[in-house]
Amino acid sequence: MKDNKFIFYLLAPTFFFIICFYIYPTIYNFYNSFTDLNLFRLREGGSWVGFKNYIDLFFDPEFKRVLFNTTIWLTIVGVFVRIVLGILLAFLINSNTLKKYKLTNLFQLSLMIPWATPSIVAVVVWRMILDPQVGVINQFLLEWGILTESIAFLADTSYVWPSIITIITWNTLPLVTLTFLASLKSVPTDLLDAASVDGANKLQRAWHIILPHMMPSIIIMVLMSTFWTFNNFVFVWLATGAGPGTYTNVMATEVYLRAFIDGKMGYSSALGIVMASIMTVFGIIYLRLIIKRNLREIF
Amino acid sequence: MFYEIIILSIALLVFIIIVYPTVWVFIASFKSNETLFSNEHSDYTLSNYIELLESGFGLYIINSFYICLVSVVITIFISVIAAYIFSRKKFKFKIFYFGSIMLGQTFPWIILVTPMFILFAKLGFLNNHISMIFCYVSVSLPFAIYLLVGYLESIPRELDEAALIDGCPQFQIIWKIIFPIMIPGIVVTATYSFLLMWSEYLFALAFLTKTNLKTMPLELYAFFGEHTTQWGQVMAASALTTIPTLLLFLPLQKFISEGLTTGAVKN
Repeated sequence: MKDNKFIFYLLAPTFFFIICFYIYPTIYNFYNSFTDLNLFRLREGGSWVGFKNYIDLFFDPEFKRVLFNTTIWLTIVGVFVRIVLGILLAFLINSNTLKKYKLTNLFQLSLMIPWATPSIVAVVVWRMILDPQVGVINQFLLEWGILTESIAFLADTSYVWPSIITIITWNTLPLVTLTFLASLKSVPTDLLDAASVDGANKLQRAWHIILPHMMPSIIIMVLMSTFWTFNNFVFVWLATGAGPGTYTNVMATEVYLRAFIDGKMGYSSALGIVMASIMTVFGIIYLRLIIKRNLREIF
Repeated sequence: MFYEIIILSIALLVFIIIVYPTVWVFIASFKSNETLFSNEHSDYTLSNYIELLESGFGLYIINSFYICLVSVVITIFISVIAAYIFSRKKFKFKIFYFGSIMLGQTFPWIILVTPMFILFAKLGFLNNHISMIFCYVSVSLPFAIYLLVGYLESIPRELDEAALIDGCPQFQIIWKIIFPIMIPGIVVTATYSFLLMWSEYLFALAFLTKTNLKTMPLELYAFFGEHTTQWGQVMAASALTTIPTLLLFLPLQKFISEGLTTGAVKN
């Protein structure tokens, strides 16, 4: 009994933050999503409109674009690129050639640089690198005669998504790579030796032994990268401001635009609830996974 | 041999892509605006930094440090205690409590902005560093608790259980036994939280409108938007924003890589 009181007091600060910051706003949003609350008429409050916001959402062509951009570009393409590059980079860093020339540590250290670069700085410097007038990429391509006129990477619809994904990948690849590298190093060497004795070549060993061994960390990284990008506001907002037009508009920027530019807070809340529901599904999968794999002892 | 040359050239290319953008920030910050993009010759100067600091950028550095350091200390204090409870105590609905904290990691921050804005407005906390500290502690708590519970699990329970049996008060166990052993885990958690807060933009954008209260990322981007032609100063501001996190991450590289990756690797 005394212990229960003790536990309650010690967890109270944590739950103070969780309730005020996560639970209360969610309930508030949920309620607002059924009203027509407007930013410019906040004092009047909103009146109940039932499921109108959700129905409007469903028929809004902009919502389809936003859903497509968020799931296909940001999440599927963005996460896929990160995972594949992360695995390849981990193999490269762990390769015998790099070990032979003692470059492994240098590479691991170099990965700290993009990681420690605040995302805001990453966006600013990449906007300069991709700039049509002063950007180094355009200069390079023009000098080598690959292009005849410069490309505005972040304003041209054919290049804008690959450019945004480049920025996100550069900034967030280190954690993914280092996780895969740690997993790669934990592959039992006797298993690999046995496979070589049986005549398996490098590719076969990578495919049949190393990758299956890395699979649990790959799954965790897929889930974590999904949370980071699906929810991310900063990269898209600072890189393109959801433009050109609303071509790169994603869920997070749409929630912001609807609430603070259009003033339709009820509609924006409905969108937010849809967003949070999708993430909660992923969140529960993630939760089950970390509890089953790492933290089973505590329950 | 041929194979090695291919691997090494790929490695060189990858290395350049990894380090080039940040290194370029530092080089460009010392170049004069006139010669910044010239390949032939460059004038190196401190004037970008001097002009930037004269325009009052120092204040934003102090604001950022103040908010982030206070938030990190509070986060660590609360999450060490929570991690101890979750790791060592058995109680009803534990998985539910733990799960509800962990889901915070997957939550879209953007939907918190409006309700928090209204709440802070009612409490008079808009344009106040308390609201920023509150937000930053909240966003870093879930992952901090996750990391620290994971770390505590690697420490044998006998250690603190023995002290408990000896009749040592629980607060003393946390403070005198748990806390010191957890220092490596705490360093990793603090570093990670610091980076998260240091580069945070959205909440600062929503809750800080008074110029003298702004944080570095906010001011950096505002400055970038207003002075796109003054790349030298923009780069100096970027460099100043990157130095603190870089100084934390580079020396702690081994710590951070191990601390953050073991959770996802352990079988």
